[in-house]
Amino acid sequence: MITPLITPSGLIQALIWGVATGCIYILLATGLNLIFGVMKLVNFAHGQLLMVGAFVAYQITTTFGLNPYASIIVSMGIVAFIGILLEKFAFRKIRGTEKLNEIFISLGLIYVFQNVAALLWVENYNIRIPSPFSSLSFSFGEVALSYDRILAIVIVIVILVGLVLLTKKTKIGLAMRATSQKSDAAMLMGIDINRVYVFTFAVGAALAGAAGAIYGILFPFNPTIGALPTIKAFAIIILGGLGSIPGAVAGGLLYGIAENTTGYLSNGTWQDAVAFALLIAVLVIRPTGLFGEKGE
Amino acid sequence: MDFKAILASSAKSFLTRKFQFALAALAFVAVLPIFVRSEYIIGNVFTVMAIFALYASSWNLLAYSGQGSLGHAAFLGIGAFASALLAARLGVPPIIGLFVGSLLSAGIGLFVGLACVRLKAWFLAMVTFGFSIIIVTIIGQFDSIFGGMIGFPTVTFVPEGLPFYYGTLAIVALSILAIFLVMKSKWGLAFKAIRENELEAKMIGINTAKYRLLAFVISTFFAGLAGGLLVESQLFIQLDIFKVDNSFLPLIMAVIGGLGTLEGPIIGAIIIVSIESFMPLAYPYLQPLSPFFPGVSNVGPPLKFVGLGIFLILVVIFLPKGITSLISKLYDYLKEGETRKGDKIEGN
Repeated sequence: MITPLITPSGLIQALIWGVATGCIYILLATGLNLIFGVMKLVNFAHGQLLMVGAFVAYQITTTFGLNPYASIIVSMGIVAFIGILLEKFAFRKIRGTEKLNEIFISLGLIYVFQNVAALLWVENYNIRIPSPFSSLSFSFGEVALSYDRILAIVIVIVILVGLVLLTKKTKIGLAMRATSQKSDAAMLMGIDINRVYVFTFAVGAALAGAAGAIYGILFPFNPTIGALPTIKAFAIIILGGLGSIPGAVAGGLLYGIAENTTGYLSNGTWQDAVAFALLIAVLVIRPTGLFGEKGE
Repeated sequence: MDFKAILASSAKSFLTRKFQFALAALAFVAVLPIFVRSEYIIGNVFTVMAIFALYASSWNLLAYSGQGSLGHAAFLGIGAFASALLAARLGVPPIIGLFVGSLLSAGIGLFVGLACVRLKAWFLAMVTFGFSIIIVTIIGQFDSIFGGMIGFPTVTFVPEGLPFYYGTLAIVALSILAIFLVMKSKWGLAFKAIRENELEAKMIGINTAKYRLLAFVISTFFAGLAGGLLVESQLFIQLDIFKVDNSFLPLIMAVIGGLGTLEGPIIGAIIIVSIESFMPLAYPYLQPLSPFFPGVSNVGPPLKFVGLGIFLILVVIFLPKGITSLISKLYDYLKEGETRKGDKIEGN
C-alpha cells in the first residue's frame, strides 16, 4: 500500500472536506433531533431515508435530466411522503408501548428499505449522481475546493435557516415546540398532537432526503450506506445535546472535521472506529451529552 | 446466593406442563435423525437451529432485564475466535476452548456492561452496536493471528456429523435450562422489575446496577458459547462472524418468537433458520419477477429480507408477545373446548 504524504495543505483540505461532510451529518442529525425532541422517538432507520433520498435524486437526475441541485427539492418531497407513511402506519401503532419496540420497528424498516433499494436500483456497486460542476473547483495554492462542496454548504445553511424560521415563526412551529415541552398540556390547549407528529416526522424525513441528495452528489453510494450515517448523526446529537439545533450544528461540524482528519491521518482505516470510540467515550463519561442538560 | 430458592422454584416448575412439553420436544429432536437421513440438513439446519436458539435465548435474557443490545455479534465473535484459536492454534481440547471462549466473552461483556450501566434503550443500542464495529476493526488489524477475511479451519469438540449434533444439543439444552433457572430465580425477578420500571426497582431496594451487570455477563457468556459452537459446526471461522446481521438475527428471532419468554427465542430460531435454509429452494420460482426489479440479478435474497422486515414490523405491531402468544391462545382455546365437551358429558 502506498502511504500518501501528510502535508499541511493536505490537512487543510481534509478540514474543509470535513466541514462539507459535516453539513450532511448536520441535516441528518437535525432531522433525528427534531423527531426525538417533539415525539420522544428515535427512528434508527433515519439513515435509510438518506439512502432513499440519494436514490430518488439519482433517478430524477438521470431520467428527466434535471439539475441535481433541483432534484434535492423533489427528493425532500418524496422522502417526506415516505416519512408520513412511516409515522401513520408504523410508529403511531407502537406509541406509548415499550421503548424497545421502536428499535424493533426501525430494524424491520432498515431491512425493507435496503432491500427495496437493491431491488429497484443497484445491489452491490456504487453509483453517483452526475453533477454538472464535478470538474470545477476553486484553488488556493495547493488546496482545492470543488464547487459541489461549496454549494452543499450553502444549501445546508439555507435549509437550516428555513428550519429555524419554521419552528420559531410559524403556528405549526409553535405547536411543535409546545408538544415537545409537554405533549399532554399541548393536547389540552387544543393542539392536534397527531397532526403535529405527522408534520414533525415529515420535516425530519425531508431533511434526511435533502441530506441524501447532497450525499449522492458528493460521494458514491449504494443501498447499504444508510447504517453508518444514522449512528454518526446519533453521535452528533449526543455531542451537541438533545433537542438543540445549534448544538447539532456544532456537533456536526466537529464530527465531520474529526472524522475526515482521522481518516486522512490514518489512511482511512480508523475513520469509523474512532467515531464510535468518541461516541462511547462521551456516553460513558457524560450520558447526557457534552452540552445536554438532561437525557432520558 | 439464593441457591435454595432457585432449587425450590425449579422443583416446582419441573412438575408443570411446560416442563413436560420441553422434555417431549427434547426427545423429538433427539430422535429426529432417524427420520431425516440427510447429513446436510442435520449439520447445516438442525445443528444451526439449536445454536441460534441458544444465541437468541442469550439475547432474550438481556432484553429480559430491559437492555436491548444491537451488537451481540461482538460477543458471538469473541467467543468464537477465542475458542477456535485455542483449539486450532494452541491445541487446547476444544471443549475447554469453548468454555474459555465463553468466559472471555463474559469478561469483556462485564466491561461493556459497566460502561453501559447508566444507559437506556437507544443509547445502549448505539453503544453496543458501536462496540461491535470497533471490535471488528481491531481484529481486522491482526490478520496474522485472526486469519482476516480468509479465516482458518476450526476443530470440533466431538467428531462432526451426528456426534456433533448430539453434543451441541446437550450443551444447548443445558444452557437453555440454566437461562430458564436464572429467569425463574430471584435474579430473574429483579431483571423483570428493572425492565418494568428501573426507578421503582431501585426504590424497593434492588441494586439495579448489579443486576443489570449480571444480566450482561450471563447473556454474553452464552452468546460466546453459541459463537464457539457456531464456528465449530461450520468447521471454519472468518471475520464475517462479526457481521451486522449476526447482531440483528437474535433480536428478530426473540421478537418474532415472543420476547421475554423461554420458548420464544427457540421458536423464533426455528422459524428464521428454516427460512434462511429452505428459502433458496424457492428462488427459481421468484425469477419471473426479475423484469420488475432491474437492480439485482437474483431477486430471491432481497425479497426474502423485505419479507423478513415486514414480518418483523407486523409482529411488533399486531402480535407484541410474538408467535408464542398465538400458540398459548390456541392451547387455551382447545382446552376450553375440551372442558365444555366434558361438561356436556357430565350433564348427560
